[in-house]
Amino acid sequence: MKPRKSMLFAAQGLMLALALVLSACGAPPPATEAPPADLTGSLTVLDWAGYDAEDFWIDFKNTYPKVTVNFEIGASDADIYGKMKAGDQADIFHPYTGWLQFYVDEGLVEEIDTSKLTNWDKVPDNFKKIGQIDGKQYFIPWDWGFTSVLYRTDKIPEGVDSWSALMDPKYAGHVSMWDDGPGAVTVSTYIHGYDETAVTAGQLASIKDEWIAQRDLNLFYWAGEPELVEGMKSGDVWLAYAWQGAYALLLGEGVPVEYANPKEGRNSWVGVYGIRKGTENYDLALKFLDMKLAEATGNNVVNLFYYGHSNQDVMSGITDETLKQAFSVDDPDILNKTNFTPNLTADQRDAWTAMWAEVKAAP
Amino acid sequence: MGRSESRAVTTPVPSRPSDTLPHPAARGMGEGRGGGLDRRATFRWLYLPPLLWLGLFFLIPLSLMAAFSFRANIRGNLLQWWTPTLAHYTSLAATGSYWRLLGISALMAFGVATIAVILAYPVAYFLAFRAGRRAGLYLVLLLIPFWTSYLLRVMAWKLMLGTEGVINSFLQYVGLIQEPLTALLYNRNAVVVTLIYVWIPFATLPILAALQRIEPNLFEAAADLGARPFQQFRRITLPLSLSGVFGAFFMVFIPTIGEYVTPLLVGGSRGSMYGNIIQDFFTKAANWPLGSALSMVMLVTTLLLVFIATRIINIRDLLE
Repeated sequence: MKPRKSMLFAAQGLMLALALVLSACGAPPPATEAPPADLTGSLTVLDWAGYDAEDFWIDFKNTYPKVTVNFEIGASDADIYGKMKAGDQADIFHPYTGWLQFYVDEGLVEEIDTSKLTNWDKVPDNFKKIGQIDGKQYFIPWDWGFTSVLYRTDKIPEGVDSWSALMDPKYAGHVSMWDDGPGAVTVSTYIHGYDETAVTAGQLASIKDEWIAQRDLNLFYWAGEPELVEGMKSGDVWLAYAWQGAYALLLGEGVPVEYANPKEGRNSWVGVYGIRKGTENYDLALKFLDMKLAEATGNNVVNLFYYGHSNQDVMSGITDETLKQAFSVDDPDILNKTNFTPNLTADQRDAWTAMWAEVKAAP
Repeated sequence: MGRSESRAVTTPVPSRPSDTLPHPAARGMGEGRGGGLDRRATFRWLYLPPLLWLGLFFLIPLSLMAAFSFRANIRGNLLQWWTPTLAHYTSLAATGSYWRLLGISALMAFGVATIAVILAYPVAYFLAFRAGRRAGLYLVLLLIPFWTSYLLRVMAWKLMLGTEGVINSFLQYVGLIQEPLTALLYNRNAVVVTLIYVWIPFATLPILAALQRIEPNLFEAAADLGARPFQQFRRITLPLSLSGVFGAFFMVFIPTIGEYVTPLLVGGSRGSMYGNIIQDFFTKAANWPLGSALSMVMLVTTLLLVFIATRIINIRDLLE
């Protein structure tokens, strides 16, 4: 009995071993590339605070669960540019329209191989163009939004139909401008019909005087959206230079606000992602950007931040009334009434930011 | 006992590579004879970490900033050689509004430092002479605000001064005003009020230290000689605490000139200080060279002001 029993065990053990070997052979690893779920590696993204939340890269996380994604935070476009300039090793970074040319001029950004992006054909051509510089696709467009005048309808029942409302003495003490030189120049060029890409020294001098005069009407220059939302909610601020994120937030809280369609047109901005020149993770970075364009991620941008997304399917899928209103989805003419922020040159950037500093320092 | 202590301190510190390995006996002998010298060497080693720290994180960045202020722009490699230019300094010299703002910031810093010191003095006096055994507890209470973030404390002032804030609500409740006062927040006064609040506990500490150093028997002697309490204060307490008063003054004055967070939050459109302009050139304009030049101007101005102040102030002589 004994020997037979031990033989039985041996046979069982052999079969088990055989089964293990067979099962291992049954699933051989693909010869070319590991499946997405097994892909490992790590990526570093230089982004704005809040965008590091998983909601905003959920498709990548779900598709490539074994890839580690690290985030560094930049406070503004100038800050992100400064960090990249100083040799930051992030693989991917997130600048906004106006600041794109510098990265190309300074050799900080790698061209995007769009043939490897599966979601690329969902991006409308007018958005693709925004990421092209000198005829090459250096950036992929991602989030976008409007800038316009946001106002309290209970305080300004007559409504706002022009950017010049920000300079109307009627509203003294209840206006809030964004704390940004190029933003101020943009508003003035709309009001006076200047060419935003060719502002002369004389025009800039009069723009400076205009904003120095505006300062007496302005309650505070807002630096972050929450500050503006709080000011408008409390009723201290009646009208402001604002992004539609603030509009959607206030609508959601039941504050009576309207987002103007100024006769000069709204302004529009686009956030883009670029890949650092010289990164060792170029292919992985491309995969990250591809997944950034995917639908679940895009829906989160729309629903959580109230910003637009460059994936057309995401935008046409919006059903929420508040959001439809915020994006003017039902106004087929809205994009024709919008001016995209052009890229600044280094000289414009220096002159316009210095102009703004002098406005703030003026007696 | 003292000898073995000094050995214990000196032995683990291999000062030069040659000391490290081959001659333990010789090293021991050297220690035995020149203990005093070795102890001094030990203290020199103790200076090293703070010196390294200051060098790495203060002197080198400061020198870099000074160098950057002579650079035309930040195009190209940041560490490549550049031809020094005075362009930023000449453009600053031509921009009167920056100088005016620097003057205003210095005046504000002077006002804040003076008022904070005047308000902190009684607090320190109370802690030093009247609080008795509870002084430690009161000191902790004084420092409790520091357990929360600086930003939160400044935000709290927005809640106090806003149109729907504590002060306005109270005044409306008791019927003193009908419409909320808008002049409380978003101007330079709000910045000054907030800064004074923030600095009072800081200003208290050097004054308290100076008061605690005064020998108690000086007061007994003064009383024996017939000095009344106010005379005691004027002839003994105040003169002997002036070092703490000036310490507190400059501790508030110097950082306040370059302040930027408080004006950003409660200053509104007209409340900017010089520090806000510097910050803007670094974080909103990517114009480090101009920002560096502005910083250097502020640094030199502050040093000059402090130097002049220490030359002029001889209040000690005036009081005696």
